[in-house]
Amino acid sequence: MKRKRIVITGIGTISPLGNDLNEVTASLVTPPRQTTVQTFPFHSFDKPVSCFKPASYDPVAILGKKGLRTKDDATKLLLSAAELGFKTLMEECPEERRPGLCIGTAFGSVQSIGDFLSDSIVNGVNTVNPQAFANTVINAPAGNANIRYLARNLSSTISTGFNSGLDAIIYAFDLLQRGYLEQIIAGGLEEISYYALLGCMRSGILSPTGAVRPFADDGDGIVMGEGCALFLMEPVETAQKRGALIHAEIAGCANGFDPATGRGKTSDGSAFRTVVSAACAQAEIDPGSIEFVASGASGNPAGDRLEAAGIAAAVGSGTPVVAYKSYTGECYGASGAISVLCALADMKKNRISGIPAAPYSSIGPVRPVFGGMDATIRHVLVSSFSCDGNCSAIILKKVNE
Amino acid sequence: MQRKRVVITGLGLITPIGCGIDTFWKAAVRGENGIRPLRNFDASEHRTKTGGEVLDFNADDYLSKSEQARMGRSSQFALAATKMALEDARIDLSQHDHSRIGISMGTTMGEPQILEQAIKIKYAANEAEKIPSTLPRQYPCASIPANIARYFSISGPHIMIPTACAAGNYAIGYAFDMIQLGKIDAAIAGGSDPFSGIAFTGFNRLLATTPDVARPFDKNRSGMAVSEGAGILFVEELDAAQKRNAPIYAEIRGYGLGCDAFKMTIPDPSGSGGIVALKRGLEHAEVSPESIDYICAHGTGTVENDKTETLIVKEVMGGRAKSISMSSIKSMIGHTMGAASAVEAAACALMLKHQIALPTINYNEPDPECDIDCIPNTARPMKLGTIISNAYAFAGNTSSLVLSALKG
Repeated sequence: MKRKRIVITGIGTISPLGNDLNEVTASLVTPPRQTTVQTFPFHSFDKPVSCFKPASYDPVAILGKKGLRTKDDATKLLLSAAELGFKTLMEECPEERRPGLCIGTAFGSVQSIGDFLSDSIVNGVNTVNPQAFANTVINAPAGNANIRYLARNLSSTISTGFNSGLDAIIYAFDLLQRGYLEQIIAGGLEEISYYALLGCMRSGILSPTGAVRPFADDGDGIVMGEGCALFLMEPVETAQKRGALIHAEIAGCANGFDPATGRGKTSDGSAFRTVVSAACAQAEIDPGSIEFVASGASGNPAGDRLEAAGIAAAVGSGTPVVAYKSYTGECYGASGAISVLCALADMKKNRISGIPAAPYSSIGPVRPVFGGMDATIRHVLVSSFSCDGNCSAIILKKVNE
Repeated sequence: MQRKRVVITGLGLITPIGCGIDTFWKAAVRGENGIRPLRNFDASEHRTKTGGEVLDFNADDYLSKSEQARMGRSSQFALAATKMALEDARIDLSQHDHSRIGISMGTTMGEPQILEQAIKIKYAANEAEKIPSTLPRQYPCASIPANIARYFSISGPHIMIPTACAAGNYAIGYAFDMIQLGKIDAAIAGGSDPFSGIAFTGFNRLLATTPDVARPFDKNRSGMAVSEGAGILFVEELDAAQKRNAPIYAEIRGYGLGCDAFKMTIPDPSGSGGIVALKRGLEHAEVSPESIDYICAHGTGTVENDKTETLIVKEVMGGRAKSISMSSIKSMIGHTMGAASAVEAAACALMLKHQIALPTINYNEPDPECDIDCIPNTARPMKLGTIISNAYAFAGNTSSLVLSALKG
């Protein structure tokens, strides 16, 4: 079976870097903006907690008031990103050919899930709002988007922790290879929630200082972020036929798992290397052709060490490596998709946006980029090797005009 | 190039009518009812007091104490069922490249009991610091396939597809895709969900639960029964299975997905998404409605679901709809949520093996709006060649999986 060439022809996003590709491109040369959260519906923290949130984002302005009352924050993020990126496409596309949806998320609407439970504990199981139950399934945001756009062709949700966004794109890539659909909107979503923050605190991975220092040898943890990045994916022939703007080709992709993680064993990076090799083979390139790696490094020392070793094993230690999470925080299930978005911005500008800080001592053996540098870019490896064991790799290839 | 043929060679089952293939099958053929007054969950404040608990599951039979302490009940179910499936498939994983084995799982709630435990600790102690630091990592639903992968040292493609109550079919379908695409040689695929206070409360508040037992397609059906369980399939390429003389239950012919895009908690009365999924399932499997012998219904026992599913089958199967045997095993095991369609796929594999269609129990009075042959109350020996398993879900997800007895 001949492999189809799959390209990205549309973008929808709500992110700490902005709400479209131009805003993201501009934000990658400006200092990141952090904020704080403290109080949630049923719980609050003793003091404000640092985080990254979309800077200028008003779901009512984007979506209108109608129907928003019962939608939670995760769903609003997804609907807003979809509305900004694909409203016209969805309206103009005949229903039977409307793109499918495939959304990666680590926790889904966990704020709604936890609040439903908290409400039932505090107020009793017989007073909890039944309408709120609809938001407690992990696929609720995707389902709401399908409803809004009468998109009946596909509603999938992928949940592989930090890698969810990348794996949603890989899943969509595979479904397009099968020829099930002509177009799929795929990407990642994550909200900031009390429950995820609390979990990170109790696990000891949340930065007590609020500093995001990917690959730093003195990194003290992650700062959470939220956002959503979605991509319209389709075969290149379909895109060319309709004269679509092609942002990049997904030349290769693969995922896998490192079973040594989470059991006190030391990873040798072989699982990640196998995944990157498979993606490179599919893209028909040598790992040496990759101009830079958009990593999943976040400032969590355990995870960053794992990822650094994996990248070095897969592509060598000389390839420039970036960590877009230094601009956005750890957006969990959205982070891989936001990395793809940032990589598209850098590809367009022939630039590599490094960590926005003065160079600090890094854990090695990779070469993190600080500040920024110009480069001619044809291939970018967007990867994530999470401390949970998930390994994902997507190779983006610039498509000549 | 000819498409690879994908077969089911191993099964693992954790259900309210028994754990293990033989226990489940014998109970199902007898038409045993697994919906009982709840013993392990305090339902005293709820309208409904029955459900489908897995009472004969002993984690000690499958996992050490330290392994159990690292994972929630959903992962424990999934791991136990995976062990069964691998044993049933007579596969020696040490002889295989572990990067060529995939894991594709589905769930509705993931590990809800972990979140419930954490929140209850916080309220009881009034301080979050009492929540054990090891607990949060056990909550994400991605921990379910991760626990399987770690246990068996599997490094191939690895995915969790939490598409609620249709998740098992989505997971099995994607495993089928990955094999046909040549990404992997074999996969562990299925679904798992534990009994969840969130789900039980939510369905109670929606007035969707039956006060006693599930009666799918009966005129007096009174709702679904919240339940728990896991179903795991070991699937592999036909050539590889034949080469190692593996037992072959069935061939996966194809599947179809769709979405109602209607409401979050109730099906589209026109059956739009179910029709899309069923038509696509037949199309991708390259089979005609005339060749379908049996349908394993989603059949929850709610008024709306069963009426809509009947309409979907009539719309797609046309004149054949009334003569196709179609039963709901949820009448026996209740609704195991994200495990449901995986359990049903395993049940379908067993039906194909034994050439017996499982019954819809608790069926007393026909409903003119569900005028199908629902195999009332008694299992039916019959010729089963090609069969379909439907699964629908919250958020409108729809799916139809097509399986056949192996031919040629």
